[in-house]
Amino acid sequence: MKKDVFTYIIGGKAGQGTKKAGLVAANFFADLKREVFQMNDYPSLIRGGHNFSVVSTSTSKIYSHYMKADLIVVLDQRSYDIHKNHLADKGILVFNSDKVKGEGIGIAISSEAKKYDNSDLIEGVAGIAVLAVILGIEKKKLDEIIKKEYGRQVKDNIEFSNAIYDDASKKIKKRFDLKQGKKKLVSLSGSEAIGLGAAAAGLDIYFAYPMTPSTPVLHFFAGNGKKLGIVTVQPENEIAVANMAIGASFTGARSMVGTSGGGFCLMQEAFSLAGMVEAPVLFFLGQRPGPSTGVPTYTEQGELLYSLYPGQGEFPRIVASPGNIEEAFYLTAELLNLVWRFQTPAILLSEKHLTESSMSVSVNPNKTKWALPITHEKGEYKRYKHTTNGISPLVFPPSKHLIKWNSYEHDEQGLTTEDGVLIAKMHDKRRTKLQSLIEYLKKMKTVNIYGDGKPVIFTFGSTTMSVLEALEYGGIKATVIQPIYLQPFPVWELSEHKYRESIVVEQNSTGQLEQLLKDKSDIKPVHSIRQYDGRPFDPQELAHKIKEVF
Amino acid sequence: MTKDLDTNAEVTWCPGCGNFGILNAFKKAINKLESKGIKQDNIIISSGIGCHGKIFDYVGLSGLYSIHGRSMATVQGIKIGNPKLKVIAFAGDGDAYGEGIAHMIFAAKRNADITVIVHNNGAYALTTGQFSPTSKKGFKGPSRPEGNIEDPINPLSLLLEAGASFVARGYSAKMDHLSDLIVEAVMHEGFSVIDVLQPSVVFNNTYKLYNEITEIVQKPAKSFDEAVKLVKDMKERMPIGVFYNVKKPVFHKELMGDWNPVQNKMSRNKRLKKIEEFV
Repeated sequence: MKKDVFTYIIGGKAGQGTKKAGLVAANFFADLKREVFQMNDYPSLIRGGHNFSVVSTSTSKIYSHYMKADLIVVLDQRSYDIHKNHLADKGILVFNSDKVKGEGIGIAISSEAKKYDNSDLIEGVAGIAVLAVILGIEKKKLDEIIKKEYGRQVKDNIEFSNAIYDDASKKIKKRFDLKQGKKKLVSLSGSEAIGLGAAAAGLDIYFAYPMTPSTPVLHFFAGNGKKLGIVTVQPENEIAVANMAIGASFTGARSMVGTSGGGFCLMQEAFSLAGMVEAPVLFFLGQRPGPSTGVPTYTEQGELLYSLYPGQGEFPRIVASPGNIEEAFYLTAELLNLVWRFQTPAILLSEKHLTESSMSVSVNPNKTKWALPITHEKGEYKRYKHTTNGISPLVFPPSKHLIKWNSYEHDEQGLTTEDGVLIAKMHDKRRTKLQSLIEYLKKMKTVNIYGDGKPVIFTFGSTTMSVLEALEYGGIKATVIQPIYLQPFPVWELSEHKYRESIVVEQNSTGQLEQLLKDKSDIKPVHSIRQYDGRPFDPQELAHKIKEVF
Repeated sequence: MTKDLDTNAEVTWCPGCGNFGILNAFKKAINKLESKGIKQDNIIISSGIGCHGKIFDYVGLSGLYSIHGRSMATVQGIKIGNPKLKVIAFAGDGDAYGEGIAHMIFAAKRNADITVIVHNNGAYALTTGQFSPTSKKGFKGPSRPEGNIEDPINPLSLLLEAGASFVARGYSAKMDHLSDLIVEAVMHEGFSVIDVLQPSVVFNNTYKLYNEITEIVQKPAKSFDEAVKLVKDMKERMPIGVFYNVKKPVFHKELMGDWNPVQNKMSRNKRLKKIEEFV
């Protein structure tokens, strides 16, 4: 393991504040100028079940949580049974002796918590007190942390955490010394990064119907929209979501929608409508394991191939997937730019593992661009004017010009047509636009390449983070190739790796990236590593698997 | 191309179709609205798919020819994008009361400031005459040759329950009356719907029936209950006119006050400064 990675797991029932405790720990590590990665695992329920938060921290770049933890705090028996196998060598497991029979350090967390209101809800705070003890943090500093992080029941939380701290101090001593890192970085969740990236590119309105794991983006805009000047709308269903967004884009409003697989299915006809009327709309698709309802709060990359050709008919589609949380910020901004430049819908494809995990990032909003369309300057206006690049300049209402966006095949003015010559010409226009898009992408960075080792690992989306961390953990030398853009597929960048020995790592069962590589770029990976149990890769396990196949 | 209320599109409705009455009433209404200070540039139209939808091509107003059942969602998006615009959605009975009924109910529920003009001919005409949500029981069409086995819905009663603040019925053959209804509906701040009785000469020729039984109601109902009664009163006569007209808070103002997303857009510098606070 990387020498200075420290991993903390806190597990309990939903509603006990395990995610919050994970966040508090992450913030504390960040205050030490260390980098953090936090992954929250929770079932689809509100109270009960088993939730856990895992936070890994290092003084250098960290792209993933680790499942072998140095400190595990479990509040109930189920959490104990699951996490006792996650203990690292020399790790320490602290359990709630009121609820758990097991081996490790027992602390009567529940009976102490009972002395306070909302006793169930505050148990997570015990996890912070225990963390403080084994990191040798003074009680005074612990009080400061609690005061800063817990808005409600501050007095109770401080008293409770002190009692746990005192009890734990009798049973365990400082065990780990966390070194200070170089620079304090802010920690963002993937959803926050997506929201901020869209904001940086000039988003005006976000439309969404709640669906895990895209919902946190809706909550981000709903909570911060006033500050950022962005309106959030939650219509009756995903069909209304997508059609309203197209309507809003007609007025010039930069519009974005968010959903997950099932909701995206409902948006298909509108996606095609956007292609036909040439509406600039950005679709955020957050993947969970499918098919159908699948496993709502877990992660998978099973919709890659599905995302490449949504909607009926031929029109330019753009699909891109960020490989980490920083990239999620820039890529969202970039996609909003692209949809406005090319007046066609795009999909920001991601997974629960990215949208609901947090990591230390360093982003510069000034490096983004404000999404601007090509607008009509002067003379006669035709909405679908034929141009050399296939892009017809836009005009927004109110205007003296007649602006007709039409879902039927149309002439240049936007009036319905069934004329064979005009039908073919309009097809040519959209195809020309696709060609312009490809030429444009050729000048952009569409593929990330990490490392320079001989063997090649192809991967995409959030799995990129798992792969990079696994390589570092395992000391494996390889070249990681991550296509950021998946549609149009950047064969111009990928084909030079055609003759290298390669493997594919992805989170689905059928090898969709592998198939895409074979079909589009004639790359023939010799081996693949696939995980499809809803859980993100653990870098340690992944490192072993990669070593096996190399 | 600049605007003229007519376009050069070839009109392809069947001769005698009720849609002509709606088209003419609408154009007349646009001229009346102009004299009330509502400029044509500020009026945006949308339509669904079906015979009614062709009106999009025949009227020289800007807008978005949407898909089946979605024009009501389209115009709500337009209204949120730029609340200064007056938005009008055309829909068929299949659009408004079948495929897109959820959008109707929710537009009424949230009192979205839109006008929906429903060309209600009681048949799916452009697909050759299948039964529609408002077809009478026994209505014969190619998908149920022995006759419709379902009762029709009463859309206006449904929309009143959903919270519609302006509910009216018109008749395409009473063009002047219909054009006044359209003017009033567009001037209404909030959700307004006009269910327009529209004979289909080929599939559901109701001219004779409606000429006999339509009866103009001069004033809206005084209460909600009275309005419900009025919209259900279809056995002996068919009342037309404004049935219900009340003032209620409108969605876009509840959502964003006087903010106009495209006109009050934050500058890039200001936006980036705000983002700095997060990162």
